[in-house]
Amino acid sequence: MEHGSYQNPSASTFSITEEDHTLANSLRLVLNKDPRVSFCGYSIPHPSEARVNVRVQTTGDPAGEVLKDGCQNLINMCEHVRKTFDDAVDKFKNSKATDSMDDSQ
Amino acid sequence: MPKLPDHLELKRTRVSCKLDAPNDTESILYSGAYASMDVDNSSLESFFKDFKVVVNRITEDEIEFDMIGIDAALANAFRRILISEVPTMAIEKVFIEKNTSVVQDEVLAHRLGLVPLRVDPRLFSYKSEKDEPNEKNTIVFGLHARCEQKEPRRSVKSEELSWLPKGSMFLLEIENKASSSTTAPKTYTNFKSSQDELPELSDNPIHPKYPDITLARIGPGQEIELEAHAVKGVGKEHAKWSPVATAWYRMLPEVVLLQDIINEEAEKLVQKCPANVFDIEDTPTGKKATAPRPRSCTLCRECIRGEGWDKYVALRRKKDHFIFTVESTGALSPEVLFTEAVKILEDKCERIITELS
Amino acid sequence: MLASQMRGLVKEHLDSYNYFISTGIKKIVRVNNEIRSNVDRGIYLKFLDVKIGEPSIVLDGVFEKINPQFCRLSNMTYAAPIEAHIEYVTETGGQKQLCEKKDVIIGRMPIMLRSRYCVLYGKDETELAKLGECPLDPGGYFVVKGNEKVIMIQEQLSNNRIIIEVDKKGNLVASVTSLGATLRSKTVIMMEKEKIYLHLNRFQNKVPIMVVMKAMGIESDQEVVQMIGRDPRYSALLLPSIEECASFGVKTQRQALEFLEKKVKKPQFVSAQSEKEDKALKVLQDIFIAHVPMHGSSFRAKCIYAAVMMRRMLEAFLNKAAVDDKDYVGNKRFELSGQLLSTLFEHIIKDTISFGLERALSTGNWCIKRFRIDRKGVTQVLARLSYIQALGFLTKIQPQFEKSRKVSGPRALQPSQWGMLCPCDTPEGESCGLVKNLALMTHVTTDEEEGPLVSLCYCLGVEDLELLSGEELHSPNSFLVIFNGLILGKHRRPQHFASALRRLRRSGKIGEFVSIFVNEKQCCVYIASDGGRVCRPLVIADKGVSRIKHHHMKELLDGVRTFDDFLREGLIEYLDVNEENNALVKYDKLGAGQNATVAVMSYTGYDIEDAIVMNKSSLDRGFGRCIVMKKKSAIMQRYENNASERILPPTREGYAAERMQALDDDGIAAPGQIIRQDDFLVNKSTPKITKGPITSGVIPDSEYRPTPFKLSGLAGDNSVIDRVALFADKNSNMCINFIIRQTRRPEVGDKFSSRHGQKGVCGTIVQQEDFVFSERGICPDLIMNPHGFPSRMTVGKMIELLGGKAGVSCGRYHYGSAFGEPSGHADKVEDISETLVKHGFSYSGKDFLYSAKKHDIEKLPSIFPLVSFQLVLVFHGERLQEVLDKMHARGFGPRAILTRQPTEGKARNGGLRVGEMERDCLIAYGASNLIYERLMISSDPFQVCRSCGLLGYYNHKLKAGICSACKNGENISTMKLPYACKLLFQELQSMNIVPRLKLSDV
Repeated sequence: MEHGSYQNPSASTFSITEEDHTLANSLRLVLNKDPRVSFCGYSIPHPSEARVNVRVQTTGDPAGEVLKDGCQNLINMCEHVRKTFDDAVDKFKNSKATDSMDDSQ
Repeated sequence: MPKLPDHLELKRTRVSCKLDAPNDTESILYSGAYASMDVDNSSLESFFKDFKVVVNRITEDEIEFDMIGIDAALANAFRRILISEVPTMAIEKVFIEKNTSVVQDEVLAHRLGLVPLRVDPRLFSYKSEKDEPNEKNTIVFGLHARCEQKEPRRSVKSEELSWLPKGSMFLLEIENKASSSTTAPKTYTNFKSSQDELPELSDNPIHPKYPDITLARIGPGQEIELEAHAVKGVGKEHAKWSPVATAWYRMLPEVVLLQDIINEEAEKLVQKCPANVFDIEDTPTGKKATAPRPRSCTLCRECIRGEGWDKYVALRRKKDHFIFTVESTGALSPEVLFTEAVKILEDKCERIITELS
Repeated sequence: MLASQMRGLVKEHLDSYNYFISTGIKKIVRVNNEIRSNVDRGIYLKFLDVKIGEPSIVLDGVFEKINPQFCRLSNMTYAAPIEAHIEYVTETGGQKQLCEKKDVIIGRMPIMLRSRYCVLYGKDETELAKLGECPLDPGGYFVVKGNEKVIMIQEQLSNNRIIIEVDKKGNLVASVTSLGATLRSKTVIMMEKEKIYLHLNRFQNKVPIMVVMKAMGIESDQEVVQMIGRDPRYSALLLPSIEECASFGVKTQRQALEFLEKKVKKPQFVSAQSEKEDKALKVLQDIFIAHVPMHGSSFRAKCIYAAVMMRRMLEAFLNKAAVDDKDYVGNKRFELSGQLLSTLFEHIIKDTISFGLERALSTGNWCIKRFRIDRKGVTQVLARLSYIQALGFLTKIQPQFEKSRKVSGPRALQPSQWGMLCPCDTPEGESCGLVKNLALMTHVTTDEEEGPLVSLCYCLGVEDLELLSGEELHSPNSFLVIFNGLILGKHRRPQHFASALRRLRRSGKIGEFVSIFVNEKQCCVYIASDGGRVCRPLVIADKGVSRIKHHHMKELLDGVRTFDDFLREGLIEYLDVNEENNALVKYDKLGAGQNATVAVMSYTGYDIEDAIVMNKSSLDRGFGRCIVMKKKSAIMQRYENNASERILPPTREGYAAERMQALDDDGIAAPGQIIRQDDFLVNKSTPKITKGPITSGVIPDSEYRPTPFKLSGLAGDNSVIDRVALFADKNSNMCINFIIRQTRRPEVGDKFSSRHGQKGVCGTIVQQEDFVFSERGICPDLIMNPHGFPSRMTVGKMIELLGGKAGVSCGRYHYGSAFGEPSGHADKVEDISETLVKHGFSYSGKDFLYSAKKHDIEKLPSIFPLVSFQLVLVFHGERLQEVLDKMHARGFGPRAILTRQPTEGKARNGGLRVGEMERDCLIAYGASNLIYERLMISSDPFQVCRSCGLLGYYNHKLKAGICSACKNGENISTMKLPYACKLLFQELQSMNIVPRLKLSDV
């Protein structure tokens, strides 16, 4: 991963290789939820190059840290999604099981 | 806590589908978008609080569930990962010993590659170009089909692909004749142990998911003899590694009757809809139309076609409610696929964090 | 009739070829049956009969049957021996002896595929498959030296027919191109300044027609007038000509002949024995309207013919509507393979038959001096990109004019082409409208026996010409009967005569393609049985009723009155519509493309200018793949000293082994091997000494040098050897043919097209996860830009888009027609929309699609539903061109010898021109030094003499430049000039222009 300007730590462009909309757009989502972020966006400079540039501007905090926090938040969200999903699947399967038990009775 | 005025709230949370085009399709991500109105647009806390999953249907190959309270970006990320980044095993190399059928070698190899295999890819590791094929990264299938002189033309089906847990049976051209006497003859793979000794595979042999996929047609006297090596890969590389037939979502439809629609008009409306969204309710004032099944709306927009009908009916989509469908090709069950996809997104974040620190 | 039941799509080709082989060739041989020795006229060779045997070849003395696929693979000509039954005289010891011999092979005749003499004739599907033939292949072409060659249908103005036209000067002209038994001539009678003249290229200039008439024995002016007709208007028009003739003092036949004698062109090489006297008479006998036969020394038939020509011309003078239209299809004849072959055969019968036929077919040069035919490009290689294309080739008609002419008349669509020629299928560009195609149902006739028809006419009451006086010729109520351009005589009840003939035709007593046409204006009955007329099947309206002038449509189409000249007559045969449809259904069997799910929307911006965006996953799954086959052949040359090239087993180790991977142990590449550019196909070596006798019996290995046959000229790295064929060529050298196969998947730059001619290149290939998808999870295979529609106005495609979508959702074929059709079989747009709605789609076919990625950062918008257009299934056929075949670049490479400029074209590894605009780019970019360097500094040094300004040369002995004009080396400067510039100077010098260079310092 490359990193944009070092002069102003509150505004940076991160160039992430081997990634695309999948990660960048999710990051943009979580970073935009962060009140410290004043701007966040991304671009894919060329379609035949596996690279995405993520621009983060903050209200003062170092952009790298904010991005790291964003990643962590995203992980937390994913974990929550997974847990909720697994619960829902279990619930569905249980209800199915009881349904079929009811049916068999 | 202050709330947005209705018309803005509508724009924020709904896509309105007009006859010609949908409106308000963008999602407003920025947390401070409505700061001037003292409204907090989005926050992490609300996600943790409101996110819900409701499963509608699970079969062997398919799952449909509702994800409520999640942004499109994330739902889309899961979808994209499902299609292109969850690994599976697929045939990558085909060693053709004999092919006298009319199907060309490369066409046959291509067809073999697309055959879905029923095997858990998590048991295997990726094989790089330099790696020697071994029991950890390669699955070998053999195929030997023959049509005898007097037999009629027949199809070669995928069930004829037989798993060779001990690895390749084809001998590598012997480079060193002296060593061949002492050690086992060299083949195209280098398996240290048989794959069927693995507890996961011993009573669950690897085979193509469907037994009846036609691979080729062979006529009298024609013969196909080959060995197919399957390796682990992702859908980005080639669609054959995609674990899903497809994975997609749609936003929850919302059909709103803006005015009371009564009598003939109501019947007309019920008639118009091919998806059977509307019903008629008997009220003291007469027959009145209702929309009890918005989910089945296919957005054909018949109900708002024609002069003035868009004043009666509004078709909307809820922006944070997704009806998600995953169709597995058989390597893993669809619910496992989804959790795998979420994990992959976590891994991506992990990577950024390590690279940043 | 049986043949017409099974009418194939190229029946006309097969018929004409069959006719040639079964009848034509025998006739030709009968005419040219004798070859006499120039030394002893008693010694001769005579052909008694001739027939065509089975397709076969004699190899090393072994007789072997051949089939077309075998010929294609082994670069042979699919031909059969011509077996003649001959009679000849031998002389042994002064004793002449008459001998007879049967089945003498005099040459080999190329066989048309699927003709009666082809091994494929009458074979069923499995038998064809065994012979390696496609059952759907129409045949109608030849296999010459392994290539499939089609003889194009040649369009010509019809022979032996009078055509009245207006020439460039505005004069009325009646012309006839006569095709006699032995020669071709053109007779022109023209009216200039109210006088009538004859133009014949044997006369130095025009000659008065009255003199000609007198020379032919009609000395009385009155008789001429009678022959033309006694209408006073005609006589009045003739008067100036008669007066002119009188003013020359020509009154008798003798005087006329003397007068003409002076006008006859002197032969270029005056031979001693040419009789001085009778030249004019000879010309009139042989050249003047050559197709009208002489009866002994009587010119009567020719006189009457000339009179009829004049009459027609005068008629046209009085009534402008009587002028003929050259572009009228009835005045055209189409020469098919059979006719073309027969003229060629006749020409070369006393020459090398096999070689002549083979060369003409493979080069397409038809050069027959006797008939002054010199045509190029008569044959073409059958293009096989799609089935329809191959069929189209067989119906293509080559024009008589050269393409460059800027004329509009012949290019325009003629009303008479209705039903005969396809109104839409013609190429764009220079040959637009000139190259035509036969319509589906059209048939082109072949020659029919004339004798029986002529005698039949006399039986039906035609009065013989010989018995008529000039006066009777044009008597009212009697019609002239003209048979294939010959005047037979006259008939007093033309309609009765015509209907009698027609009845005979319909009952099958005379040929089904004989046409009978009563021209009331010209008072003529035209009967035609000659070959090359186009005709089409029509339905009889009222059987036998000859009053078919007015009334309903079918009668109208029956043809007589609507087109005011003679048209191929009404009903020819019943052709069941269903039968014809059977032929059409086959199009479905051999589709030329694939169905694709198409979204019509703009996406990524890589779709401007008709480019299309493709889905990578679709391509992964096999969408749009194609297999390309190329043939490579190697010959094991045998040299005059009997040394021949040999094949060595490959080396398996070391540096060379890598290039020999594909080789089998026999040194020839094996089928199924993957092969790359420059890999060896044959590990061949050539003897160093190829001349003179070999000293020792065996050539040692050291006397061979390796000359491997490598794979070249095939881009891409996934070539596979499909088949290998070993055979002997006609010099008994061993040949090895490799068929190399490539399976190609679409890539950026490949060109695709749907039907409707909506073509476009692939602009980008996008991952499936980035592609749009619909509410139902459907992801398109390709995206097409909607801007392709408004300017092209391809409404048909829009209907296909809708119909395709409806088709997949209801599982039924949809029939594409905009008009619903009275039968109700076609699907109107309304019906299609209804089907769509029934299956939950929008009536307009538009779907909402979800964007799979997001764009726009500025406004921070969405990832989300994008406006969408149609998501539909459309037949997206035909890959047209592929970049892999087009891609070309070179650093250095071959140059042309003459100019030392890089060669042209990809096939010759040519250079790419830096033209004016490229030069502009370089200058604009500021790289003008590059141009200077390329054009000047990198050029060749030349010695320029400062005193005379001419180019000198560099003398290596003296190590100095020398001027060859001044004979010294005093004022020599070295200058860099492009070689082509030097060449220009030399060429100018050769034309007596002296270019002098004046040098000065910059």
